[in-house]
Amino acid sequence: MSDILERLLHSVESGKINRLSPFPPSLKGQDGADELCKQALDEGIKPDIILNEALIPGMSNIGEKYSQGRAFVPEMLISAKAMTAAMKHLKPFFISGEIKRKGVFVIGTVAGDLHEIGKNIVSMTIEGSGWEVVDLGVDVKADKFLETIEKYPGSVVGMSALLTTTMASMESIVKEIKNKYPGKVIMVGGAPLSHEFCNSIGADFYSPDPRGAVEFLKKLGA
Amino acid sequence: MLIEKYSFAFKDLKFTRNSIAMAMGYQLNSVNPQVEEEIDEVLAVAENLCNIKGGYKIFDSNVLEKINHKLIIENQSLCVHPIVFRQIKKTESIAVFLCTLGNEITRKSRELINAGEPLKGYVYDTFGSIAVEAAMDLIQEELRMKSSLSGLKITNRYSPGYCGWNISEQEKIFSLLPDKFCGVELTDSCLMLPVKSVSGIIGIGRNVKYNSYTCNLCDMEKCLYKNLANSSYSNDFNTGR
Repeated sequence: MSDILERLLHSVESGKINRLSPFPPSLKGQDGADELCKQALDEGIKPDIILNEALIPGMSNIGEKYSQGRAFVPEMLISAKAMTAAMKHLKPFFISGEIKRKGVFVIGTVAGDLHEIGKNIVSMTIEGSGWEVVDLGVDVKADKFLETIEKYPGSVVGMSALLTTTMASMESIVKEIKNKYPGKVIMVGGAPLSHEFCNSIGADFYSPDPRGAVEFLKKLGA
Repeated sequence: MLIEKYSFAFKDLKFTRNSIAMAMGYQLNSVNPQVEEEIDEVLAVAENLCNIKGGYKIFDSNVLEKINHKLIIENQSLCVHPIVFRQIKKTESIAVFLCTLGNEITRKSRELINAGEPLKGYVYDTFGSIAVEAAMDLIQEELRMKSSLSGLKITNRYSPGYCGWNISEQEKIFSLLPDKFCGVELTDSCLMLPVKSVSGIIGIGRNVKYNSYTCNLCDMEKCLYKNLANSSYSNDFNTGR
C-alpha cells in the first residue's frame, strides 16, 4: 500500500480529522484525513482505491476495536468524523457514478423511542463501509419507513429500539413492512434485543454491535 | 402520606470528570484526551443547563402489601423482579421517588448531534445520565438521614427498566405520584420527559439493608451504570446500581 494511503487509513482509524485538529496528540501538526484524501486524489490514486483501501479499512479497524472493548463510543464518533472529512473529496465521484455505493441502508429508531446514539454509530459505520445511509431519525412510524422504502426499492432496512415497550412497536412495523414488501431485508438492534426476539418478529438479522451489521451487509452484497 | 420535594444547584452534585469517562467505558488513567477536553467543556457550562428537581412520596405499611413477589402500594400492584423483591420484602414503608435534570441537557445534546458534532452531543448525553443519578444520590441521602432519626434504614433504589423490572411499570410509579411531579411526564412508551429523569422505589425499615454493589444481580450487559460500577474508580460511584 502506498505511504499516503497508509497514513490516510491511520488518520481515519485514530480520528485525525485535519491538520488543525490537535488530536490524537501523536499526530498533532500533521495532515489529517481531510488533507490526505485530497493529496491522494491529486497524486492520481483512483477514488475507489482510496475508499476501499484506506477509508473503509480505517473504519473497519476502529469498529473491530469497539467490538473487542478496546475502543468506545467516542472513538467511533471521532473516526466517523475523520471519515466524513475525507469523504467530502470523494462526493463528486459518487455523484458521477465513478464510485458506486454498495447499496442504500434506511435506518431509524422506532415509534415511541427517542434514543439515537447507538443508531447514529451504526449509521456512521455502515456509511463508512461504502453504503448510502438514509437516516430517518427517531420516533419513526411505519408509514415513514414504508414511504422511504418506496423511494429506495432495493434498500436494506435497519431499526433500533432501546425500550422493551418500543420493541412492541418494532414488531408491528416489521409486520407492516413485510406485508407490503415480503422480500425486504430488515435488520434490528438495540440493548434489550436478542436473536430470539429478531426471529420472533420476522426480522432477518440482529447484531449487538455495528461491526456485525457491516458483516451482514457484506454477505448480502456478495 | 409524606411528600418531600427538593431543588439543587449543579455545584451541589458530587461527581467528577472521571465518573463521566468511566460511564463511557474508560478505565482510570486511560481516558482519550480529546474526550477529557470535551467533558471539561461540558462541566464548565453545566450549571446553566441543569434545572434539578426531585422528591419522593412515602407510603406507610397501612397501604402496603407484599404478596407473591408483588409489591402492592395503594392497590397498584408493582411486579418487581424477584431480585428486587428480595431486597424490599422486609420494608415497613416505601418511598416512591422521581428526580430530573430538566430538558436543557437533552436539547443541547440533540442540537450538537444535528449540527454534525456527535461526540459533543454524546458527552452531553452521558453527563446528563450521570448527573441525574448524582442528584438522586442527594435525595436518597436526605431520605436516609430523615429515616435514621426514627431508627430506620433504607434500601438501594430500584427503577423500572433495571434489575429485570419491566419498564412498562413506570405507569404505576407515576400513578402513585402527583400529576406532573417535578415537571416530569411519561410518554405512551414509558419514556420520561425530560429524558434525563429517574424514578423508582426505595424501601424503608428497621431490618432492611443497603448493598454497596448490586450490579452483579442484573443481567444487563451494556449498561453505563455497570460500566461505572465495574471501573477502577468505583469509589466515586455510590448509588448502589
